[in-house]
Amino acid sequence: MPSLHTSVGNVGTHTAVVAVWLMSSCYVGLPQDGSGVDGNSGADGGSSTSADDTSPPEGCVAGRSSAPLRRLTRFEYNNVVRDLLGDDTSPGNSLPSEISGNGFGNDAETQTVSSLLVEQYATVSEGIAKRATESRDKLGALAACAAEIEAGTPTADEETCARELVTRLITRAFRRPVADAEVDELLSLRAAIRESSTFATSIATVIEAVLQSSDFLYRVEVGEVGEDGRRRPTGHEMATRLSLFLWGSIPDDDLLAAAEAGDLVAADGVRAQAERMLQDPRARVVARHFFDNLLPIGSLATLERDATRYPLYTPQIGRLMREETQTLLEREIFENGGTWPGVLTAEHTYMNAELAAYYGVTGVEGEAFQRVDVDTTQRLGMLTHAGVVAGTIHSNETNPVVRGAFLLEKIMCQPTPPPTPDVFDQVDPPNPDSAPTARERFSQHSEDPKCAGCHAVMDPIGFALENYDAVGRWRDHENDVLSNTKVTIPGLGDVSGPVELARKVAQDPRTHACFAVNWANFAYGRTLGADDACVRQDIEEAFAAADHDVAQLLIELTQTEDFLFLPEES
Amino acid sequence: MARRISRRTLLRGAGGVAIALPWLEIMGQPARAWAGGTTAQRFVTMYTPGGSVINDGSGNNRWRPSGTETDFTLSSILMPLEPMRHKLLIYDGLSLLSSNGHHNGGMQSWLSGWGQGSDGFGRGPSIDQVIAGLISADKPMRSLQVAVRWGTGRTHGLVHPLNSPNLEDAEGNNPIPPRLDPQAIFASLFSTLDPSTAPDALARVARKKSVLDYVDRGLNGLSSRLSGGDKQRVDQHLTKVRELEQALDEMPPISEVCYAPELIDTSDYNPDTGLNSNLAGDILDLDTDASIPKVGKFMMDMLVMALACDITGVASFQWTDTEAKHTFPWLDLPNHHHYYQHDGGFAPDQLEKIYTWYAGQHEYFLQQLDAIDLGGHSLLDETVVLFGSEVAQPSNHNQENMPFMLAGGGGGLRGGRFLRHADLADRSHNNLLLAILRLFGDERETFGNPEFCSAPFSDLT
Repeated sequence: MPSLHTSVGNVGTHTAVVAVWLMSSCYVGLPQDGSGVDGNSGADGGSSTSADDTSPPEGCVAGRSSAPLRRLTRFEYNNVVRDLLGDDTSPGNSLPSEISGNGFGNDAETQTVSSLLVEQYATVSEGIAKRATESRDKLGALAACAAEIEAGTPTADEETCARELVTRLITRAFRRPVADAEVDELLSLRAAIRESSTFATSIATVIEAVLQSSDFLYRVEVGEVGEDGRRRPTGHEMATRLSLFLWGSIPDDDLLAAAEAGDLVAADGVRAQAERMLQDPRARVVARHFFDNLLPIGSLATLERDATRYPLYTPQIGRLMREETQTLLEREIFENGGTWPGVLTAEHTYMNAELAAYYGVTGVEGEAFQRVDVDTTQRLGMLTHAGVVAGTIHSNETNPVVRGAFLLEKIMCQPTPPPTPDVFDQVDPPNPDSAPTARERFSQHSEDPKCAGCHAVMDPIGFALENYDAVGRWRDHENDVLSNTKVTIPGLGDVSGPVELARKVAQDPRTHACFAVNWANFAYGRTLGADDACVRQDIEEAFAAADHDVAQLLIELTQTEDFLFLPEES
Repeated sequence: MARRISRRTLLRGAGGVAIALPWLEIMGQPARAWAGGTTAQRFVTMYTPGGSVINDGSGNNRWRPSGTETDFTLSSILMPLEPMRHKLLIYDGLSLLSSNGHHNGGMQSWLSGWGQGSDGFGRGPSIDQVIAGLISADKPMRSLQVAVRWGTGRTHGLVHPLNSPNLEDAEGNNPIPPRLDPQAIFASLFSTLDPSTAPDALARVARKKSVLDYVDRGLNGLSSRLSGGDKQRVDQHLTKVRELEQALDEMPPISEVCYAPELIDTSDYNPDTGLNSNLAGDILDLDTDASIPKVGKFMMDMLVMALACDITGVASFQWTDTEAKHTFPWLDLPNHHHYYQHDGGFAPDQLEKIYTWYAGQHEYFLQQLDAIDLGGHSLLDETVVLFGSEVAQPSNHNQENMPFMLAGGGGGLRGGRFLRHADLADRSHNNLLLAILRLFGDERETFGNPEFCSAPFSDLT
């Protein structure tokens, strides 16, 4: 089992008890109840991966939602400073990494604070503040009077202007109406700095402070109790929930107006906004971010491959592979009303001339991506995209175990436990020269009783994908031996090769549940586990009711108990 | 060692300008006295991935020295350390018994002595953080973590049990992300050491302090309205803000032993390679891999000066994470480290090249520490350096016969020796961690998982 442990998910953490349970689960094939939680938490080795009983408990009642305090992620930070201050330099990239947690780096429970983070907040906000005040025009964008002061032709006194500027800035930065005292506090900071520096520097200092403040960095939800006695986010808090989920950024004027008009209390008001927001290009950026984290397509430009063995693979091809997958997803989700099973069985994809040549597809001209029908004897849907099958592989040889584990964990949410340490000590990885095909090299796992339980499930999935080489191109042979991709997969049955595998995975209810749970984890900043059977049931049913329409799922995620309400105060 | 005075004093003296700020009082603190045999004053962990070549497939251990405790011959892999052997204590035969196996289990266990908890990270603090509490709590930085090529492979730059072994000694047991950008590290450590920038720097410090005061009040107010995990995280944030405020107050003066290392050009090196794949995904890293030796040396130089200047007393250096998915063009090795470990089949000859190179880098680091004269003894003589990894044998992740080495003279550590614990009934590395703690005057009976602690090894001194 050479690379399983290093290449997909973070297998590796487990208590003995959990490991035993998981191992045994492999022997009986895939669990049939869709209980595996998301592969990412499994990947993180948390013991939460394995809800063996997910039948919803009695009493999925009102007031049971969970709403941990969330902090802006780097992705959100970048978007917010762009929309707040026009700063498109992605300064959040200089913040330290998030803990992977649920696989999207946004699990609130894992958002710990390091010295480095606090130091970088200070450094980054200093740079942003400087850029936001470096010219008369920039100051004017914050408040017209500020440009006049900088030009030496003020029409208002400095203090008055600063009050106007600060009020406007923090109303948007804090995403809510602000109290006079909050403005006053920042004005007194400004006044103190102004004694020994310029007007622009005093404004920069205010911005620096706002960007480090808890009201900016944290999504504080005070909530309010409605006429129905239920506790829910205030209108402005709901506007922020919506905008950070669907746009990764702060609310726009429409949302703020809806909040002030009280239109974000009832579920249908929230739904109307969500439907509007999905039409905005910002929603596509969020979806891209989601899939970059879910799929192994983020590093396709930097695959480490021997150029003599794979002369056609280049970093540019890697970029195009990623674009192919993202383009299919984007068009299907946002333009074609696509379903998740439909994405996984699409008989078309998107290519430009260069990528088509890589695939050996003729008749595609130009740099622009265009719709292309695929040869359905070789490819079908997103899981057979060159990038998706190449991105899991970290060397010159294909690794069926890793490909199988990716599909199980990330697409079907079936945890693949790591081998126990004693098993590791007894198994040597296969030498690339030991047999002509990966299937032969890796078959020892299914024969060795120590390994068979899990590998009997993982490996066949990978074997079925052996028609794709380490850079995702089609092959009939490996080292002159015909690739045998006929397999029997516990839980999925007989599969004749990659195309039928794609079809069976796409039809499997666990695949649908997994997708919904992954989106819920991302949307709610959680890692749904064994205790979250109610919310899982809500979203899985809603996704099914929407015929697995992806855009519809995003809307339905705003209609749940967890999105619309806050926990009752204890 | 030079007397530590506050930066504000230094800046006023250097700039020669009276600046109207309310806090120009002298804040000097006497340095800790050192005498051979007293407790160690500084601690460094040095991590290289994937163990070493403990079994080359023919039964040969290419890492282990041969000979007796004081009369031994270094192996081919360790041979580059020959010039520093008199300061080395090579500690063979230990096992990571407290690890639950594997790369991430070993990564969490090697400094914490714990297996992984439900979040994947070790169940208790790492030893460097415990030692930071003993010797570095009042320094501008409590501890410093740097990494050269980090977040490679599937962690995509996210903090993960595979890449973050440093765990805070506080409730919540938080992993500490390392610093990656050599230019930012330089700015953070040394930019205020230049007295010519004094007036600007002073105004900037004043401004930052005012901002942090404001941030502090806001966090405090928020905390008072929270409970449970939310409150814990916000309180942690507040603590870090206060540490930063404190750090702004104190920076060391330039002296014969404390000065900024030469700032080199690292424009050919992208510290974010491997990170942010969700944002760009199209970062080429060939230049970056080729620049690893240069950047690694620069990082070691900075780390030495951070210790010499007393900016911090505890540092952790990672050449990479356990995934080690980068290439070694300067060694003519076109595949990544993990490929040679097992992804592409176990390749002992290529691995020997890699580990021999790492030994040479460690020799350089120890030489630099030893070159700092603190008045009759070197910086290395006050320091304990722990060199280690997360597994022993890369091909099968075996965690027996770990390639551990200590160096330095802190707390009376005696170098020039090669110890084998292979035949002892007790070979748990928790006992080594306990023994290291004793060098710092900490007499606790267990560290990490008590199940794997019998008694601290007594043969370090």
